[in-house]
Amino acid sequence: MEVLRSLRYSLYLIFHPFDGFWDLKHEKRGNLKTALIIVAMVGVTFILRRQLTGFILNEVKLRELNVIVEILSIVVPFFLWCVANWCLTTLMDGEGSFKDIVITSAYALVPLVLINIPLIVFSNIITLEEAAFYVFFDILSIVWAGLLLFLGTSVVHQYSLGKTFLTCICVVIGMGLIIFIALLFFSLLQQMFSFFYTIYKEIALRL
Amino acid sequence: MRFKRFLAIFIIFVLLCPASAYADEPYNNYNYDFWGSPIPAPAAYVPARIVDGRSLGINEFKKPSDLFTGPDNKLYVADSGNNRIVVINENWELDRIIEGFSKNGTRDSFNNPKGLFVTKDGEIYVADTDNSRIVHLDADGNFVREIGPPVSEIIPADFQYYPTALVVDRANRLYVVAQGVNQGLIELDSQGMFVGYMGASKVRPNMIDYFWKLIATDEQRERLELFVPTEYNNVSIDNDGFIYVTTGSIALEDIEHAINTRSKDDRIAPVRKLNPTGTDVLRRNGYFPPVGDVYFRSRGYAEAGNSQLYDICIEDSGIYSVLDKKKGRIFTYDTDGNLLYLFGGIGNRLGNFRDPVALDVIDNNFVVLDFNMSQITVFEPTEYGRLVREAVELHLTGKYDESAAKWEQVLKFNANCELAYIGMGKALLRKDDFRQAMKYFRLGNKRDYYSKAFDLYRQEVIGENFGLVVLAILVLYIGSKILKRIRTRKREEIKAMGKVEA
Repeated sequence: MEVLRSLRYSLYLIFHPFDGFWDLKHEKRGNLKTALIIVAMVGVTFILRRQLTGFILNEVKLRELNVIVEILSIVVPFFLWCVANWCLTTLMDGEGSFKDIVITSAYALVPLVLINIPLIVFSNIITLEEAAFYVFFDILSIVWAGLLLFLGTSVVHQYSLGKTFLTCICVVIGMGLIIFIALLFFSLLQQMFSFFYTIYKEIALRL
Repeated sequence: MRFKRFLAIFIIFVLLCPASAYADEPYNNYNYDFWGSPIPAPAAYVPARIVDGRSLGINEFKKPSDLFTGPDNKLYVADSGNNRIVVINENWELDRIIEGFSKNGTRDSFNNPKGLFVTKDGEIYVADTDNSRIVHLDADGNFVREIGPPVSEIIPADFQYYPTALVVDRANRLYVVAQGVNQGLIELDSQGMFVGYMGASKVRPNMIDYFWKLIATDEQRERLELFVPTEYNNVSIDNDGFIYVTTGSIALEDIEHAINTRSKDDRIAPVRKLNPTGTDVLRRNGYFPPVGDVYFRSRGYAEAGNSQLYDICIEDSGIYSVLDKKKGRIFTYDTDGNLLYLFGGIGNRLGNFRDPVALDVIDNNFVVLDFNMSQITVFEPTEYGRLVREAVELHLTGKYDESAAKWEQVLKFNANCELAYIGMGKALLRKDDFRQAMKYFRLGNKRDYYSKAFDLYRQEVIGENFGLVVLAILVLYIGSKILKRIRTRKREEIKAMGKVEA
């Protein structure tokens, strides 16, 4: 029930971002559970989009659709954003906790679900000439969500717009850095593993 | 007992059955689907015979570099190493050899002739490469004239003229490909006078190169690669007078980019079709531009890299085929640029090449000249290849229903043939069977035609159910009105209750 109420609140939030995000944090209108449900919904939306978008607009090779990759391509960037955001804003006097960041960012993604689901239906009844509408709404959903993400960051950390802008750019760079370090870490791990494995093989063969 | 007899009959029957069909062509048969994956396909052409010096009863060819189908299905071969032109008749027997000619009373001969062209009247033009001239002979091989190096103030004095390929149009103008010339084709008028260069490809330096050039020092700049147009390596002409040129010197990255973006651009194109003003008019409406192989490894493997197109031949119907020198493959495209089929490969068996340099078509058979093996391989169409050709040709002449019937037969050989689905879809669309047409366009991955069929189908459905649609809209409209009224009433009631409580 709480989740449902919270989800309904998100409909108010996307049209009134300043008040919405403020209440989300200070009036406890949102909760982590709902936030995670929203992220899951975004993931599901994108899978449905790939699978069910009308033939005319769908150039995805369905034979090679991998649901896990699809989900990861939503969930991983989302948490990467949250982690990078938290890392930076704690250093830059941000007022939001990690939980606040996750909740805010998740609620900002609601337009993606709200627009894309009807868009999937719409894509099945249009021709190539009417594809411009589809593209328009597709872009609208992304711009809307991006704007909400930006305003959400601003409200939750109590930043000025200029500072938020700077932070957002730094967060994107930070996401890149995290990916780089992660890759480095895994490649090192792999090398270490193969090193120990060769030692083991060497010993096993000699004994 | 009965069973035994049955078994015996069964075994005899099995033994009598022909062995299952097995592709024994020494190359892979495939075609590319919408996504650019190579999908196995039946063989369209199979090697039929080898024609070489021995089979003709003359001494072996030596580094032959060009062949051309003349009138009466005679095949003219430029046997460069032996400085002669060999003419083969339609039964693959020797017709005659042109070893020299008498020029103003003196005997003259060729020196490494690398290209030749035969007009509809049988007149022979030979690119006499190392003699820096073009020799014009009449149909009987008698000397008519010679055309020397082009003279003009825009040609530098130290220009070394090595013509390697040429075509002659109906007005007897000559278009010559010469070694080291990247300004396009050399155009000569009917008198053999230089008119100008024609059809040079436009240059497009990419931004990164441009940036480096901007910051480089003068010395570095000199050592950088020049942004020059690509050099043509071969030329051919169709019945309408359009000139087709090929080039093999486009960078791997540019070809990959053209494939990945499904480019219709003529700037990075190994095949170009030039109109009389030298503008490219080739249709590139296939899923991929005509560049030969679409899927290949970039580097590090034996067969890595893009196709190196080296020759092109155009048939009367407008279907054209290109020869990939590197992988020894022949790719055939229709006038829209759809890849119909491909065959051939590098190797040592019948049907393989080591260094294929020239390609032409003679009476529906392909002839490919091998520079290294000094022989001509003749390929003849299989049932499948013939059906595909007929289907395309019928479509081009406007016989759509007959074409669809052929495509239907093609599908029996190859259920992965997207072109066949599209061809059948088009015929169904003309018959106003939109639903079936949609199905076929979907199988053929043809989105624009699917959209057309869908548009018409949608109109049909809405038209048939017009009453229902209107009814649905009315019901929705009235329903929403009623719902709204109920809501406001409820809200008012709650308000009233609140007031009462207060």
